[in-house]
Amino acid sequence: MNREQLVEELKQQIIEQLNLQVKPADIVASDPLFNEGLGLDSIDALELIVLMQQKYRIKLANAEDGPKVFQSVDTMADFILANQTTQAG
Amino acid sequence: MFINGASAISPLPVFDALTKGINFEFLTAAKGRVAEPDYSNLIDPKLIRRMSRIIRMGVVTALDALKQAAIANPDAILTGTAFGCLEDTGVFLKRLVENKEEMLTPTAFIQSTHNTVGAQVALLLKCHSYNNTYVQRAHSFELSLLDAQLWLTEHAGQAVLVGAADELTDYSYSLLERFGTFKHQCGGEGAAYFLVQSAASASSWAEIETIHTLYQPTEEELLELVRSISAPAKEQPVDLILSGEENHDEKAHLYMNVKAAAGDNIPVVNYKQFCGTYPTASAFACWLGAYWLKTGTIPAGWGPVMPAKRILIYQTDNLGYHSLILLKAC
Repeated sequence: MNREQLVEELKQQIIEQLNLQVKPADIVASDPLFNEGLGLDSIDALELIVLMQQKYRIKLANAEDGPKVFQSVDTMADFILANQTTQAG
Repeated sequence: MFINGASAISPLPVFDALTKGINFEFLTAAKGRVAEPDYSNLIDPKLIRRMSRIIRMGVVTALDALKQAAIANPDAILTGTAFGCLEDTGVFLKRLVENKEEMLTPTAFIQSTHNTVGAQVALLLKCHSYNNTYVQRAHSFELSLLDAQLWLTEHAGQAVLVGAADELTDYSYSLLERFGTFKHQCGGEGAAYFLVQSAASASSWAEIETIHTLYQPTEEELLELVRSISAPAKEQPVDLILSGEENHDEKAHLYMNVKAAAGDNIPVVNYKQFCGTYPTASAFACWLGAYWLKTGTIPAGWGPVMPAKRILIYQTDNLGYHSLILLKAC
C-alpha cells in the first residue's frame, strides 16, 4: 500500500470509528484533526490510539508524541509508514 | 403536579403532534422502531455522532419539553429506564469478547450506563441540579414521577424534567422473544419527557392527579385501589382508560375487572398497539393521555362523546408490577 492509498484508507477508518457525518473527500489530509479541524476531542484521541493498535499493530510508546502523531491524517500516515518500516527492518 | 411541557418519540410518529396531529396506525412490525425526527435541526451534529438511538430520542424529547414550558434549566432531572443504553452495552461487550478484553474503545463504555440519557441532558444544559435515574423494570417511569412529585412537594415553584426511555435492539429482541415477551404484542421502544411544576401555566397539557405503584398485590387490593382513585371523582368520573393490555393477554380478566372497578361503561384504548410493549411504555401512555386532554382530539368512537376530563392509565406485567396514573384536564 502506497502513502496515497494509506491516507484514503485512514480517512475512511476515522469516519467509521468516530461515526463522523462527513465523506472521505471532505477531509483534507493536512488539516488539523482536533479543535478547529474536524473538531475531535480527547475521547476521539483514545479511539484513534485504539484504531492504530488494532488495524496497524502500532502502539504509541510515548504518550507525549500523541499531539504530533494525531495532528492530521498526513501525520498519522507518516507515523504508520515509519513504524511499519521500522518493524519490517 | 402539572405537565407544562411534554414530548415523545415512539413507533407512532408523534414528535410533531402539536403542529401536525397524529395519524393513528396500529403497530404491525414485530420490532417496533421509533419514528425518529430529523435530529440535525435539533442537536449539534458534532454531538449526535456519539449518541445511540436511546440517547438521541431521550435528549431531543427532554429539550422539546423544556422549550414548550420556556424553562432553560430545570431544578431536577429524573429518568426512568428498565434496560438502559442497550445498543452501546452490546457494542462494548462484543468488543470485550472479540478483542479478548484488550484495546477497548471508550465511547461505547461511557455511553452504556443506565444514567447516560439523564446525564447527557444535564451535560447539554450545563445543569448541575439533582439528577437521578430509576431502574425498576415496569415501575421505572412511575418511580421517576413519584420522585418528581416529592421534589415539588418540598420545592414548590421549581421545575422538574421527568421522563423515560428504552430501546429495542436486534440482540435484545432475539433474547426477549425467546422468553415469550412478544407473544401477544409487537416489541416496542420510545422516549417521553415531561416538564412538571406545582402550578399550571399557559403551556399546560394536563395535571397528574394520582400516581400509584403496586407490586404483586392481590386482585382485591388492586381493585380496592382503583375504586378509591375513581370514587372521589364521581362528580367528574374517569372518561377514558388507557390500558396496557396486550392482544390475547393472559391478564385480560384483570384488565376487565379494573375497568369495571373504575366505573360503568368507560371506553378503553389499548396504548401498546401504537408503541409496542416495553417496560416504560406507560410514559408513552402518559404523553398520549396528556395530548388528548390538551387537544381534545380523541378519535371518534374511541373515547367519550364529550371532551375527556379524566384519563386513567393502568398497566401490569407478568412479574406483578402494576401502576395507575390519573390525568386530569387543566
